Amino acid sequence: MSPNYLLKRLLMIVYTLFIVSLVVFAITQVLPADAAVMMLGENATDQALEALRQQMGLNDPIWLQYLHWLGGILHGDFGQSLRTGQPVGPAMLQALGRSLLLAVLSIAQMLVLAIPLGVLAAIRRGKLADMIVSLISYAGVSLPEFVTATLAVLFVADWAKLLPPTGYVPLTENFLDGLAHLILPVCVVSIILIAHVSRMVRSELVDVLHTDYIRAARLKGLSTSRVLFGHALRNALLPTITVVALDVGYLLGGIIVVEEIFALPGIGRQLIVAIQTRDLPAIQAGVLLMAATYSIVNFAADILYAWLDKRIQYD
Amino acid sequence: MLKLNRRHFLASTAAILATPAIGFAQAAAPAKGGTLRISVDQAASVIHPLLTRVNPEYMVTELLYSNLTRLKVDMSVEPDLAESWSANDALTEWTFKLRSGVKFHDGSPLTANDVVQSFKAILDPKNASPALNNVGPIADVIAADPLTAVFKLSTPYADFPVATAYTVARIIPASIATGDFKKLSTTAVGTGPFKLVSYEPDRLIVVERNPDYYDPKRPYLDRVEIQVFPDTSAQTSALLAGDIDIISTVQPTEYLRMKDAQGVNPLRVPSGQFCNINFGCDTKPFNDARVRRALALTVDRQAMVDFVTEGFGTPGNDTALNSSYHFYADLPLRQANIEEAKKLLAEAGYPNGFEATLIASDKPSQRTQLAVALREMAKEAGININVQTMPHATYLEQVWKKGSFYVGFYNMQPTADAIFKLLYTSDAAWNETRWNNAAFDKVVNEARGITDEAKRKELYAAAQKLMNEEVPSIIPVFFDVLAAKRDWVAGFEVHPRASVFRLDYVSLTDKAPKRS
Repeated sequence: MSPNYLLKRLLMIVYTLFIVSLVVFAITQVLPADAAVMMLGENATDQALEALRQQMGLNDPIWLQYLHWLGGILHGDFGQSLRTGQPVGPAMLQALGRSLLLAVLSIAQMLVLAIPLGVLAAIRRGKLADMIVSLISYAGVSLPEFVTATLAVLFVADWAKLLPPTGYVPLTENFLDGLAHLILPVCVVSIILIAHVSRMVRSELVDVLHTDYIRAARLKGLSTSRVLFGHALRNALLPTITVVALDVGYLLGGIIVVEEIFALPGIGRQLIVAIQTRDLPAIQAGVLLMAATYSIVNFAADILYAWLDKRIQYD
Repeated sequence: MLKLNRRHFLASTAAILATPAIGFAQAAAPAKGGTLRISVDQAASVIHPLLTRVNPEYMVTELLYSNLTRLKVDMSVEPDLAESWSANDALTEWTFKLRSGVKFHDGSPLTANDVVQSFKAILDPKNASPALNNVGPIADVIAADPLTAVFKLSTPYADFPVATAYTVARIIPASIATGDFKKLSTTAVGTGPFKLVSYEPDRLIVVERNPDYYDPKRPYLDRVEIQVFPDTSAQTSALLAGDIDIISTVQPTEYLRMKDAQGVNPLRVPSGQFCNINFGCDTKPFNDARVRRALALTVDRQAMVDFVTEGFGTPGNDTALNSSYHFYADLPLRQANIEEAKKLLAEAGYPNGFEATLIASDKPSQRTQLAVALREMAKEAGININVQTMPHATYLEQVWKKGSFYVGFYNMQPTADAIFKLLYTSDAAWNETRWNNAAFDKVVNEARGITDEAKRKELYAAAQKLMNEEVPSIIPVFFDVLAAKRDWVAGFEVHPRASVFRLDYVSLTDKAPKRS
């Protein structure tokens, strides 16, 4: 992997974010709501509205407003929330942090469970274990989160009273309590990922196990486990990285339902609130941060891919 | 000077009957201490006490600040920072005597100048305070001495001490009112029963007991945590699990889920909160009262209550008052009468009915339900209604006060005058129907300027009759206010106003879980 390639990829990310910024700014311009009215509310007098528009630069030409906004972002200032009057950058970053925590824990749990399940299903192909794993993964893929989340709350929290049903406690505030509050959402999110990835691992592994090089390895007299873990799995896992990277995209936006049900103030939920209340700076900041995270994760996945598979040469 | 107390202008039988009961309940001294967790369904985005707009925000500022007066659950007022008040005979000048020795959270003493500057800040259009239209016709306010504030009104106003209890008319330090006004968006400097500990608008707001509160007995709790739960079923689960102690607003379906749960008390109180279908009374075809009345005659009100409130409500009679209000006039309930409706339409020049688009914001969902129900009911009279829903922000921007056929939703107001003056007189701040009725204006204005109970009753009855006849908006349902609490919570009463909470009267019994 050449440094040249890395630089190119990084520039590509910057370019993508620039396009995203243009699009999100354009979209927030056409949303039917006057920022000054949203900020001051129903009782605002015309005089107060006009003063605020001046102050916020809402009377400037749109391109100038865009440049001001972009300039602010380059200085780390995402503007002020129309809803709370607070800077949106820190609030959105904090929300992003919570979503990432949920995402990282879910991916970790998924990796621990999905790969062994996929391997088990592949080597016991057609047997009972394979059928059970397939059944679980089909169920996991087809059950929407709001169903699994609601069932989890009803059975684990309401009925068995094993875990707190909802709410979010920062780990820094009370580690054990915070962890207890995270278990259910992490399980709900990872069920889908496990279903997704274990099926992927299974089918990739079944394919790999039928290739010539595996046959050759077996003929060489290598042990089954060495063939499986030393040769087959390594290749079968490569496409999984791409799937996981794509799943991060889903995790950032798609877990809104989970965040909503478990009252976890992540970025998905913040963005919904921002859209509902026409909090334009918050919408802009939220979308940009999500796009940036997504780009970086994909970039990291590509590098990891190349590092694991030496045949891949980027230049 | 005429000495007035609340009974002069607000005595209701309910108030008198309720007083001994409340007194008795409080005879056993409430336990001190403990942390109360209360949940709200919406973020408290604004904590500036003069700029709040939604119920969770009112809850937070009520904990941190005081008003001159407070609203009890029976809608009568009691002293808060003002120990007593009186008015001149014309009811145009009101004098409030303040408690002595009250301190703000920063240690500075409360004086009449703080009251003066707080109200001046509310009245300054530049600040765009939502209280601007709700604190009465104040022309000027002055500090007569360090503990006396005098309000000069532009017109006589008998309900003025109720207006000073308004959820946004809190008292802030004069230095902030005239200086860094925005400071209170992130901190709190009040005289309320609690002090702000931490504030995360979308998740958690924590307050702790103010040791310098003017009433040494209250508050009973050490700490209150306000948690934001956007999902109602998650909220119920948290209450059932004992994770939270009170849900401030409960949806009917969740209410049913909690009804038989152990250790949980669902709470319900009839209220003057309503949904209305507003007509632009200056726009065809709704500028003809016969058309409006015809549409009102298609409504089966009990069916509306069952459908829109899921049974947790009472039928409305196209006036802004119901039996929760003092001065409610018990007119015969308008019954659905399709024949009569068709006749009125024909008289108005629409023998074959007409078509119209009814706009409903998506929040709360009852607005859409109401719109859909009306569409079905109006069909029979030949009126074809297209229902259009839109996001609340868009609705506020494009439809509210501007549209000619749309669904509104309002909290109960403390007095008949407050609701009429807010929505239906021709000079109303939110005259969303653009109804311009001189006779209605006259009776409402006359009633607000006198204290004679019998005469006021007569005038407000006339006002209700005019609304019922002219139908500036169809008001088919009033909602009950629903809440819920754990049985270890004592002293919590649901306020029909829905925006008043009185958590400083709440205590925890020894069955409550201990929280650090």
